[in-house]
Amino acid sequence: MAMKVQIEALTRVEGGGSLEVFLRDGKPESLRLSIYEPPRFIEGILKGKPYQVIPDITARICGICPVAYQMSGVQAIEDAFCVKIPEDIEEIRRLMYFGEWVQSHALHVFFLHLPDFFNVPSIIELSKIDKGLVLAGMEIKRAGSFIIQALGGRTSHPVSVVPGGFNALPESLSELKETLEKALEKALWTVEKLKALNFPDFELKEVLFVSLIEEDYPILKGDIYLEGVRVSPKEFKSFFVEFEVPYSTAKHAMTKYGRVYLVGPIARFNNAFEKLSPLAMETAQKLSLEPMVKNPHKGILVRIVEIVHALERSIRIVKDYKKPQRGKVEVVPRSSTGYGVSEAPRGILWHSYSFDSEGRILSANIVPPTSQNQRAIELSLWELIKDKENIKEDWLRDHAEPVIRSFDPCISCATHFLKVSLKDAKKFNLA
Amino acid sequence: MKVGVFKFSSCDGCQLAFFELEEELLRLSEKVQIQYFLEASSKNTWDYFDLAFVEGSISTPEEEERIKKIRESSRFLVAIGACAVSGGIQSARNFEDFSEIYFSVYSGRYEVNPLSKPLSDFVKVDLEIRGCPINKEALREVLIALLQGKSPQLPSYPVCLECKRKGNPCVVVAKGLICLGPITVAGCGALCPTFERGCYGCYGPVEKPNLQALLEGYSRLRVSQDLIKELLRISFNGYNKSIREWL
Repeated sequence: MAMKVQIEALTRVEGGGSLEVFLRDGKPESLRLSIYEPPRFIEGILKGKPYQVIPDITARICGICPVAYQMSGVQAIEDAFCVKIPEDIEEIRRLMYFGEWVQSHALHVFFLHLPDFFNVPSIIELSKIDKGLVLAGMEIKRAGSFIIQALGGRTSHPVSVVPGGFNALPESLSELKETLEKALEKALWTVEKLKALNFPDFELKEVLFVSLIEEDYPILKGDIYLEGVRVSPKEFKSFFVEFEVPYSTAKHAMTKYGRVYLVGPIARFNNAFEKLSPLAMETAQKLSLEPMVKNPHKGILVRIVEIVHALERSIRIVKDYKKPQRGKVEVVPRSSTGYGVSEAPRGILWHSYSFDSEGRILSANIVPPTSQNQRAIELSLWELIKDKENIKEDWLRDHAEPVIRSFDPCISCATHFLKVSLKDAKKFNLA
Repeated sequence: MKVGVFKFSSCDGCQLAFFELEEELLRLSEKVQIQYFLEASSKNTWDYFDLAFVEGSISTPEEEERIKKIRESSRFLVAIGACAVSGGIQSARNFEDFSEIYFSVYSGRYEVNPLSKPLSDFVKVDLEIRGCPINKEALREVLIALLQGKSPQLPSYPVCLECKRKGNPCVVVAKGLICLGPITVAGCGALCPTFERGCYGCYGPVEKPNLQALLEGYSRLRVSQDLIKELLRISFNGYNKSIREWL
């Protein structure tokens, strides 16, 4: 007999999704991580608009990682129009991006993920158990927000990022220094507490770790590192292959070599561990973390390592900050196609645009990290349930939902990439 | 007081304002019961709400049903952010050929409405918090006022007043930029002009925007009406009831 067990609404994740598990005679047959965020057609809306709208409009794909969208977006424009960005402006872009890493990771670590380890439903209940830890998390998150605010006016959908650089920049960032140093102290203090957490015994199998290559730990740009091969942003799309797998009703995107892959903090850590800042390296050692991290539940530890890295690097940039002579370089549109890729908090975020000679957008194409991770998430869930019998919803909530959460999926982003197969078709509503 | 926080078609950015309240959120939770907030808690109950905060626009049949259910369960309903108030960036499609936009993004089929609409097209909205995203100060003001049974004080005047207060030189006069400040509600702190760019309208139109005067003013600066309209359509608030007919 066939039946379905379901978590109808996933909680403490960004956006709306559900998990369906299909059983036959009590045994798991397939599963699906469903994304039910309605599509918002951002790529379609961009068509015909001038290139300048890209940073403001694509930011609205995600309230948690708007800076990532702005950075991948402006770099795609600059690639298309052959604009070279000076090193000092790129450094300020990195600073803003580090701000987003800190803000987004702290949100996930403390607000969304940590309650699972204490068996409480939310940060509010967690604060009754360990208020110090919660307040530390809030202070860390605030430091990330301050960076974005200082450079872009507000913490979500900042207004200063433009193709060519920044529309305006502050005279000085000295007021940030103390905030960041305090947050770094707090982050280091939380390490001991996080170290004491109990992690479910679980390993990702058969998963490839994919991230960018930069001179430093990757964040802003670069080629994609894939099984020892460097793939340029332009070649990225040719590495997507979609095909069906027995345990899922959704098609899977994989590398052209037929591998499921993972992007994000764990992938970055496994590929670029030796490029972490000194304190982040020390933090990893304290947490007994070294490549290859394969337990997604330990993502929380990798995120705190990345928070330390981001804060330490940010402090250095803030100390050296001098307002550039020119906040932005000239951008002259031409008929062409450009590619931009950067490391969003959740992993590789790829943008590509084609423009006409006036700089109007002919086509837009965006691949967010969560859609790339959907396969790895489903594979992990399959590993978890495949030998279980007569699964109940409560069991899924207690065991499967934390696995999903540990990947920090951003469903608002992922919906964006959803290619609904006709098999799932409902009536197309054009009334 | 029982509170619910709900999400429709959106980026989640406005719900984050609750998290940004940080320690105040913890203190607030002693005074109110946050009963339903999927992004914040794994324990959610839905019976009735004294206060419902709703993020996102209505863009599918399921969302139409759900917003009505929330309205029935709630004493006071607050629309938070440009999606809920006006239809959001996704409502830019309302001015274009939907099937062309649809098939440029999806190959398959998905049950989605051609138009993305604000909550107020479907249910009575008691209060709007403006912005894309909203800011935590406005959220705090609303929460505290409603807890004390007072009317929240939110700006209804245009961005220009905030610019004057900040001592910003007018970007239209000084730099010849296009700025939607004269018809956009204040509350952001005149962010864009402070960053030397024109306001792009993310807080949405003031109550009775004098669009005619805006268009005439810009035509004197040789800016075409079509361009201003295009900017308003992608201002995240183009489908706001007070300007949609014009666009």
